[in-house]
Amino acid sequence: MPLVNNKVGDDCTDEALADGKALVDSLIKVVACYRHLASCVGGCTDSLQLREELRQTREKAQMLSVAICSHLTSHLRNKRLPEGQRKEMELLWVAFSSSLELLHGDMCKVFNVAEIFSLANTDSLVQTGLQGGGSEVAARALSLPDLNRAQSPTLPAGLESQERSTMEQEIGQIEHMIDDMEMKVNVMRWMVEPHGPQYTDPLSSTDSASLALLSVDEEQPGRQPLCQRSQIFVLLLMFAVVLVAATLSVCVVFFS
Amino acid sequence: SSGEDIIAWLADRFQVDTQEARNFVSMLVALGYIYPLQDHRRLVIKPDASLYRFQTPYFWPTQQWPVEDTDYAIYLAKRNIRKRGILELHEQEHYNRLHKWMNHKWDFVVMQAKEQYRAAKERKKPDRVVFECQERAYWVVHRPPPGTVSAMDYGLDRLTDPNADEVTGLLCCSFKHYTPLTRSLCFLCSRRLVKYCSTYKSHDPFLSNCLPSNPWLTDDATYWSLNMPSVEIPTKMRVERWTFSFAELLSDPRGRDDFRLFLKKEFSGENLAFWEGCEDLKWGEAATMREKAEHIYKTFLARGAPRWINIDGKTMEVTVKGLKHPHRYVLDPAQTHIYMLMKKDSYGRYQKSPVFKDTVKKAICPEEHRYRHRRPSLSPIILRQMEQEQRAKMAANVDITQLCRFTTPVPHLAVYSGLTDFPTANASPPLPFLVHTPACPSPISVALESTSASERRVEAGGGEGDGDPAAARAPVGGHVSGSRVALSLRRLLRRGCTSASVFASLSPKCHSAAGTSVRIQPIIPDQPKNTVNTKFVFLEIKCDINQAVNDT
Repeated sequence: MPLVNNKVGDDCTDEALADGKALVDSLIKVVACYRHLASCVGGCTDSLQLREELRQTREKAQMLSVAICSHLTSHLRNKRLPEGQRKEMELLWVAFSSSLELLHGDMCKVFNVAEIFSLANTDSLVQTGLQGGGSEVAARALSLPDLNRAQSPTLPAGLESQERSTMEQEIGQIEHMIDDMEMKVNVMRWMVEPHGPQYTDPLSSTDSASLALLSVDEEQPGRQPLCQRSQIFVLLLMFAVVLVAATLSVCVVFFS
Repeated sequence: SSGEDIIAWLADRFQVDTQEARNFVSMLVALGYIYPLQDHRRLVIKPDASLYRFQTPYFWPTQQWPVEDTDYAIYLAKRNIRKRGILELHEQEHYNRLHKWMNHKWDFVVMQAKEQYRAAKERKKPDRVVFECQERAYWVVHRPPPGTVSAMDYGLDRLTDPNADEVTGLLCCSFKHYTPLTRSLCFLCSRRLVKYCSTYKSHDPFLSNCLPSNPWLTDDATYWSLNMPSVEIPTKMRVERWTFSFAELLSDPRGRDDFRLFLKKEFSGENLAFWEGCEDLKWGEAATMREKAEHIYKTFLARGAPRWINIDGKTMEVTVKGLKHPHRYVLDPAQTHIYMLMKKDSYGRYQKSPVFKDTVKKAICPEEHRYRHRRPSLSPIILRQMEQEQRAKMAANVDITQLCRFTTPVPHLAVYSGLTDFPTANASPPLPFLVHTPACPSPISVALESTSASERRVEAGGGEGDGDPAAARAPVGGHVSGSRVALSLRRLLRRGCTSASVFASLSPKCHSAAGTSVRIQPIIPDQPKNTVNTKFVFLEIKCDINQAVNDT
């Protein structure tokens, strides 16, 4: 009997672990997307749409974090958790708290910048050289295949201040959550050991190569004509060599 | 837009000249508001066609958001994901360091980097590139490559804001990202620190002049003699320190004496005596601890004790129980109680008492020492150097060929001026050696050599050098060298040299000659005649060598 019970218990926590991991992974994804969107605020691609996307991403992040918080707290406060499981939970905990901190930072930044750069005055937006918006990123964050924006681009002015107050509230909530977490669960950060290696492998060679090429182009545009010239020179040389070889062989055949 | 365009536009917009505009723009670039596209590592403005771009407000330094190491780690990991080995050396170092101390977060860092990378891929390629440039520029500003000047060192990150009235206010501002509890604690600590600094500022010998003068600077030890532990009349500064806190009063022996006097007048001296007894127990020897504890108990704590102290019942109970197995800290609760009692009650009354007021009135305030008349003593380093030079010269001038069987080769004359050598001196005859050299086969040649040497020496103030070894020897060497002289003279006579008479006849002349060459020095005490003579062998030979030859 006790064996069966234990087994059930293990399964439960394994599942819980897997759940927790999935949740944390998605939170990390959302936080990463939020950062990309946040970096566009105040720039020339800033628009109501961007703000809307930011808001939606933020809401999703908060939803996820509340879920993770309750999930992890309940499990970590369970004193009968086996040691291995506990370690995994603690890892998730550390990841969760770090993501929350990042999210909090980004939210504060967005809040500040949005205050300075009001959308009512689009001339004052900084020309950062960006072209497109963050719709694709937002789509990724919200795990939607496509974002159909059929809303009208103009919104009443009062909405901005409302937006600001809700944002303030949300920032406060996140702060509160962080504090709460520290109070409720005592995770010793220095005891947590990560799994992964120090350096991660490049994700995919083609992508990285193309990106590298692009960055090289960006970095040294002055050298481009030179490279091209040298390449053309080499090609010509090879062509000439081939031609000479061909004529020689023809001569040999012809005269022998 | 290109560099020169920016400068031109700024000059036009703000109605300033080109140089000013260039300065302003270079500052903008250094701080990260504009970043160069080529040569991104050097944040300078080049007035040519090189291209620049505006930084997005998210990465501006204006709001002084803290630059997190976590973000930096994620950024470096991202770049490494893109292309392995792209990190520069200083970035590699940073990466390894961050990996070490942020180890617990490392899984998160790597995952976040991957997610950010994937999210970036969702964007259009040009936008992706722009974002990467933006991020890169941000990190060049905040984590500059080694050897570059960072604009963040002063200015935005400067911790002392000249506009802030109170240091505490500023500290609060920089702590606004912390939790309220941490903030209030920091506030209290900083308040206390500021108060402590302002109270003790005038008493710190580094920050303000100590009266009469700092002995280390002026060689005048009046300050120390005035502030001795048991001095009769304390200085004003010292008395002022007693008013800062009770601990200060008790830690100063003179203060404690004063306090004891006051308590005697008030007939509550037993408190202080008990406290002192406890201190003695705490810091005393382990052997006498038991007796001390018993003595204290009998004197202060027992019922009907001669100097019974007034402590509450609970403490008394605890103490008595502890005294069954006494140890160093058995009387700690009682001591603390008495200390607090004295602090709250007697200390206040002491400060208002006639005893204290009298002390304050009598306290002296020494005048500041005008140390223009500082005694110029030669630094011991210089003295030693001169000594060494002297020895080297004398060692160099000793002619090896002049060795005879009565002499022993002395490689250098270090033993010459060493005090330690004198007890064993009979065995090794450094002095006789010197005395012998002129007595050995060809006094003339030696004399000639020594003449030149001694001439050189005298010119170089060599008398002083001689004086030094003499000084070193003087306390001991007085009579010893006298006997040496006798010894050497006897040997000389045995050998048939009449240099003894030479010495005798020469000595007055040479002494005068030597006398003139010796520079007066406050350190070297007066030399008895014979030591001077025996040392100045070379000089003696220098004078009237003809006479010596004639005599032989």
